[in-house]
Amino acid sequence: MKASTRKLILPGTIVALIVATVILAPVLPLQDTRGMDIPHRFAGPSAAHWLGQDEFGRDVLSRLIWGGRASLFIAVGSAVLAAIAGTTLGLLGGYFRGVVELFTVRAAEIILCLPPLLLALLVVTILGAGTWPLILALTILYTPNYARVVYAATQQVRGLDFVTAQRAMGTHPLKILVRTILPNVLPPLLVQMSLVVASAMVIESGLSFLGLGVVPPTPSWGLMIRAARGAMEVAPLLLVWPSLALAGTILTFNLLCDRLQSALDPRAVTAGGALWLRPRSREAKKPVTPVAAPAEAPLLEISDMSIAVHDMELVRRVSLTVRPGETVALVGESGSGKTLTGLAMTGLLPDTLRVTGGSAVYTTRDGTAVDLAKLDEEGIRKLRGDEISMVFQDAAASLNPVLRIGDQLGEAIQAHHQISGEALQKRIVDLLRHVGIPDPERRHRAYPHELSGGQRQRAMIALAVANSPRLLIADEPTTALDPTIQAQILQLFAQLKKDTPGMGMIFVTHDLAVVAEIADRVTVMYAGEVVEEGPVAEVFARPRHPYTAALISSVPESGAERLTAIPGTVPSPRNMPTGCRFAPRCGFATAECESRSPKAEHPAADRVTRCFRWENVT
Amino acid sequence: MLRYIAFRSLVALFLVWVVVTIVFLLLHLIPGDPAELLLSSGNVAADPQAVAALREQMGLNAPLWQQYLDHMAGVLTGDLGASFRDGAPVIEQIALRLPRTLEVILAASLIATGIGVPLGTYAAIRADGKADAVISFFASASLSTPVFVVGSVVILIFAQELKWLPAGGFVPFSEDPVEHFKLLLMPAGTVALSLLAVITRMSRASVLEVLQRDYVRTARAKGLPRAPILRRHVVRNALIPVLTVLGLEMGTLIGGTVLVEFVFNWPGLSGYLVSAVDARDYPEVVGIVMTISVLFVFLNLVVDVVNAMLDPRISLVR
Repeated sequence: MKASTRKLILPGTIVALIVATVILAPVLPLQDTRGMDIPHRFAGPSAAHWLGQDEFGRDVLSRLIWGGRASLFIAVGSAVLAAIAGTTLGLLGGYFRGVVELFTVRAAEIILCLPPLLLALLVVTILGAGTWPLILALTILYTPNYARVVYAATQQVRGLDFVTAQRAMGTHPLKILVRTILPNVLPPLLVQMSLVVASAMVIESGLSFLGLGVVPPTPSWGLMIRAARGAMEVAPLLLVWPSLALAGTILTFNLLCDRLQSALDPRAVTAGGALWLRPRSREAKKPVTPVAAPAEAPLLEISDMSIAVHDMELVRRVSLTVRPGETVALVGESGSGKTLTGLAMTGLLPDTLRVTGGSAVYTTRDGTAVDLAKLDEEGIRKLRGDEISMVFQDAAASLNPVLRIGDQLGEAIQAHHQISGEALQKRIVDLLRHVGIPDPERRHRAYPHELSGGQRQRAMIALAVANSPRLLIADEPTTALDPTIQAQILQLFAQLKKDTPGMGMIFVTHDLAVVAEIADRVTVMYAGEVVEEGPVAEVFARPRHPYTAALISSVPESGAERLTAIPGTVPSPRNMPTGCRFAPRCGFATAECESRSPKAEHPAADRVTRCFRWENVT
Repeated sequence: MLRYIAFRSLVALFLVWVVVTIVFLLLHLIPGDPAELLLSSGNVAADPQAVAALREQMGLNAPLWQQYLDHMAGVLTGDLGASFRDGAPVIEQIALRLPRTLEVILAASLIATGIGVPLGTYAAIRADGKADAVISFFASASLSTPVFVVGSVVILIFAQELKWLPAGGFVPFSEDPVEHFKLLLMPAGTVALSLLAVITRMSRASVLEVLQRDYVRTARAKGLPRAPILRRHVVRNALIPVLTVLGLEMGTLIGGTVLVEFVFNWPGLSGYLVSAVDARDYPEVVGIVMTISVLFVFLNLVVDVVNAMLDPRISLVR
């Protein structure tokens, strides 16, 4: 049983208990609800009267149970009636649309223009108090809620292929509605129902409390609270029992509704919270004491780094080196772990992911070496945006839609520099001009949605280079763009490289043409592992891993004699092959490949391949 | 932006017209003669001649469409007619009582937003932790407790047992400001409690949603410290749906404070409506319902406009 289903047991059981109690009220050994006993009015709890006696000496417990019966009858009754009316209207409106929609769903929605209690009050006062006017009022009140929910669900289901198919086959609309669509809209209907029962109880008890609902001497919780208010000085407990019963019952129904919702809608189960926001969440990580780096140290040296979610390894023993001024392309299919590797360098991995092994030693501006994988949140924050920057793939989603571009840029500068006013403005405009945004004096006041896709990506890049970082990580910065814009953005990166000679760059991409254009070295990843590494020209001329070779021959521009697709797909992390991870898709695989996982080998001084048969590849 | 506001205002005006018409028809088409109702007391039938005279005087003998046109003409000139009961202009009573109801709603909204947004944000940051469970439970509990129950229990505790506050009533601000606020405290607090639950839940959900957004990751990538990320990127963006909900809730409250006003003897607009409906006083009922729906629709308009100002994307989308 799923956890979300298990959570239904508690509210479900309580609801069942409450319903059983009020249904069984006539056969339970309860005192007469109208049996007065004036001499013992306001008597406290006793063996005969467990919860005491009220202002007429009537038994409180039995009035509580019978009162619940009245409340639930009205609430459930109107919830069911409103469900029938609303579902009919919603189904018709959602299926036929057009004029039908106007007269069903839209007409019902007019009711929503009035505050709910006010509407109920109007109906009840016009028809007089009592159980049935109350049910009518509540039915009218909740019909539009159902109509809306069912309307939305119907429209969704209506567009699905199997319904279209049935329509095409000429099935009668009524049959489609009842047989196909109704079962599909049941889950949201069920959620709505428990919500309406709770809400109807609130209004019913409120009206009864005002003396406009259930008519005495029929017991009702609202009436009991009304009566108890008058006797507050003498018997405060009389107020407590019906209040508890009422609030408890409504709470249970609300709880049932919440849990039904999460049980029926798996999307609602999101990763909770954000660990980075909790001050002491990373206390396992101690601040790292800086160590002086050796003189010829590379900018970044990742060795044997692994990343895992729970106990599932997504990235295994990745090694990668970036020297100052060097651009390393990180290539692979989706799911190969290249983006995760990039995110880990800025400490921006999602909360559920952890660096489980290895190190990523970065040499800072002042010549100290720090292990990025072990840095605490505050330590890595100081590096982020200042020394190590990131350009994300989807600029439209990565820029805050409600802040001006210039403000977002200014904020990035101010995070690391004491600068404000005129000087800051000038810096912002200069940066925007530098990344090729036309008319930066005015454009810095634009919101992200007012820019074109290419300009947004330029703004994103401006954010990343705002503090002249020494390591720039670009995560598929051209993937979401049109081909012509892609070329422009690549040119911009090339320009940035030329302008800032010392800046190292990790360029994450799946596009080999891009690699050839921008990178000095290339690292190929497959299924969470580095399979090949080397200078771009050499790797392209003579790949030493079957996967790299296959990638190259699958690109039209590569000049391969004929295009070949790689058979099969990347294995899922749950289902990794025991031997070489590429073996199932590899044309060179032998028995050894399937039993043993290959170690990194060096075909040349600056080349790495993870293949037993690299000598046979090309 | 201006076009957007103009369009929304037109829709709002149309809605007000629909509501006024419906209420007018509802009250005139149902069986029962207000003149007869006014003149009869208990089980004694009214004198038919007096009823006829009164009907003439009240204009009830004119055809329905004429009554409707007269009514609409009155509404447009700000004349909501005179009360059947005492002949006083309805607009005067509304002008007197509306501010009192608005005062309770406004005070409650301030309390609820001031506490609910930080509380919901905190719960979201600590999602699935102990603090979150406690906050969520209290939100559900106060959402599940009807206002008159809260009101009664609050009176029981603070007026009856602790004797800190008077049990209910109203003193105009001009007469005694201190007493005025003392009396405001319990009704406003009671309304605030359920509103607080709504705001807290909404803030929590909204912050959780925003935390998943890419632009929060960008803000982190810039190296911004926690506080500015939370303030400028998370809470600011998360507030937009919260404010929408607050506006809608306030609109519902304008007609929904009946119970609170009853419990605390607060002489606001809602209580006036109950007695007007009870007496079948057409001009009063129509006047109050119209006031409430105008406010309701107007508030929705304000919410939309504020949304459009907070979220620069909206004005382009429409």
